[in-house]
Amino acid sequence: MAPLQKRALYSLIIGVVCAVALIGIFIAKGGVTTFDEDLGFRLVVYALWIGVPLAYLIVVNLTLRKPGQVDERDRLIMERAPRIQFLAVLFSLAAWVIVLTEVFSDQGQVPVIYLTLIMISTLIIGTIVSLSVS
Amino acid sequence: MRFDNGEMTQEELANRAGCTRQTIIALEQGKYVPSIELAFRIAEVFGVSLEEVFQYKESS
Repeated sequence: MAPLQKRALYSLIIGVVCAVALIGIFIAKGGVTTFDEDLGFRLVVYALWIGVPLAYLIVVNLTLRKPGQVDERDRLIMERAPRIQFLAVLFSLAAWVIVLTEVFSDQGQVPVIYLTLIMISTLIIGTIVSLSVS
Repeated sequence: MRFDNGEMTQEELANRAGCTRQTIIALEQGKYVPSIELAFRIAEVFGVSLEEVFQYKESS
């Protein structure tokens, strides 16, 4: 398996593990209501938010650290991926802003849990787009 | 051209030209246009001139 394919596979595994961990934590702890009330629960979720990008950075460094592993075509792919990722994330954020504004404009405030949902959706979209480009 | 050079595998050509096997696959399928440098390296592996390996076809 080529280094670039390895990186994509490991990224997918990290994304799936993170998603499963999040869903598992939410189910085990009692859902959104507990998230609002339980600081410990929120800290676990925050640790995941920081841990996932860190794990991704380590994986990228481990799979692509040897010189000569990446050739000119790989570099082109790696340069193109963030541009498409950026656009995908931008459009998803625009969608969130439009929907949340329209749904909650009467109340004048958005429930805090939507911040977590926005983060989850951004991670998922970023991962999917990155994999499809690779 | 690989087969005219001792049944050279894609892996072997990739190693000798300094690229990945995936790049050789993409080149053979016409899905990737190499840089001048890589094109010269591949021609060098086969011991022929650049034009004997790569030909320009104007896309319609």
